Amino acid sequence: MRTHEDQWLEEIYRNTLPRVAGMIYRVGGHLEMAKDIFQDAVIIYLEKQQQNKLPAGVPAEAYITGIARILAVRKLKQSGQHIPLDGMEGDIGVPADYYAPPPVAKPVLEYVKAAGKKCLQLLHAFYYDHLSIPEIAAGFNFKTEHSASVQKYKCLEKVREQIKQSDYAETVS
Amino acid sequence: MRKQLAEAQEIEQYLLREMPVSSRLVFQARMLVAPALREKVKYQRKTMQLVRWLAREEKRNELDQLFLRLMQDTAFNNSITSIFK
Repeated sequence: MRTHEDQWLEEIYRNTLPRVAGMIYRVGGHLEMAKDIFQDAVIIYLEKQQQNKLPAGVPAEAYITGIARILAVRKLKQSGQHIPLDGMEGDIGVPADYYAPPPVAKPVLEYVKAAGKKCLQLLHAFYYDHLSIPEIAAGFNFKTEHSASVQKYKCLEKVREQIKQSDYAETVS
Repeated sequence: MRKQLAEAQEIEQYLLREMPVSSRLVFQARMLVAPALREKVKYQRKTMQLVRWLAREEKRNELDQLFLRLMQDTAFNNSITSIFK
């Protein structure tokens, strides 16, 4: 079943991707670059929305296009080109860690993904989706909110230890 | 909540900056004298960074799927590809 977010995303792709693609084309970019930059802008928009950090009165299309412009500027700066920024971009922030490399080495990443799948889903709901304890308790079928909260910390501890052990093993080998 | 879980909760409050300033200073002082606590903070920070990193990867894959699906629609496909011709 399609959710409200699925419908919203489809509309955003239909209405805003052509605008972003036009901008990327004008600065010498290609389709794949336009697609990647647009998608990163959508992800950043959704993160800001979850954290209630969107400026009031700015339509989603304008905000996403603004972020895409900033991301394009950064990408082109890296390749020695330049496009000017205008108006609203000063109000738009790209998270500092957005293009950070994975915080653990690839083998550690694969191990944690495989060994801690359920816990990662729970931690994702808490730390990325910013769902409340009652929402998590209902969504993950916990009997009480207290059990959801305790499980979160158990998971945090479990994944933390997995990363630590894998990190040690990686260092030794 | 058992002791270790209470500690994970305290570290979380420190990392999310949800601690009052006075408690934060006490916590930082405890880290200075307790290498084990310092190490737990380091790996818990990595855990939270990893959760965020994986969530973004997952979202990128979902959006790639959506893009591929929409590109099957001739009108949408033309509206994008014609820009680059």
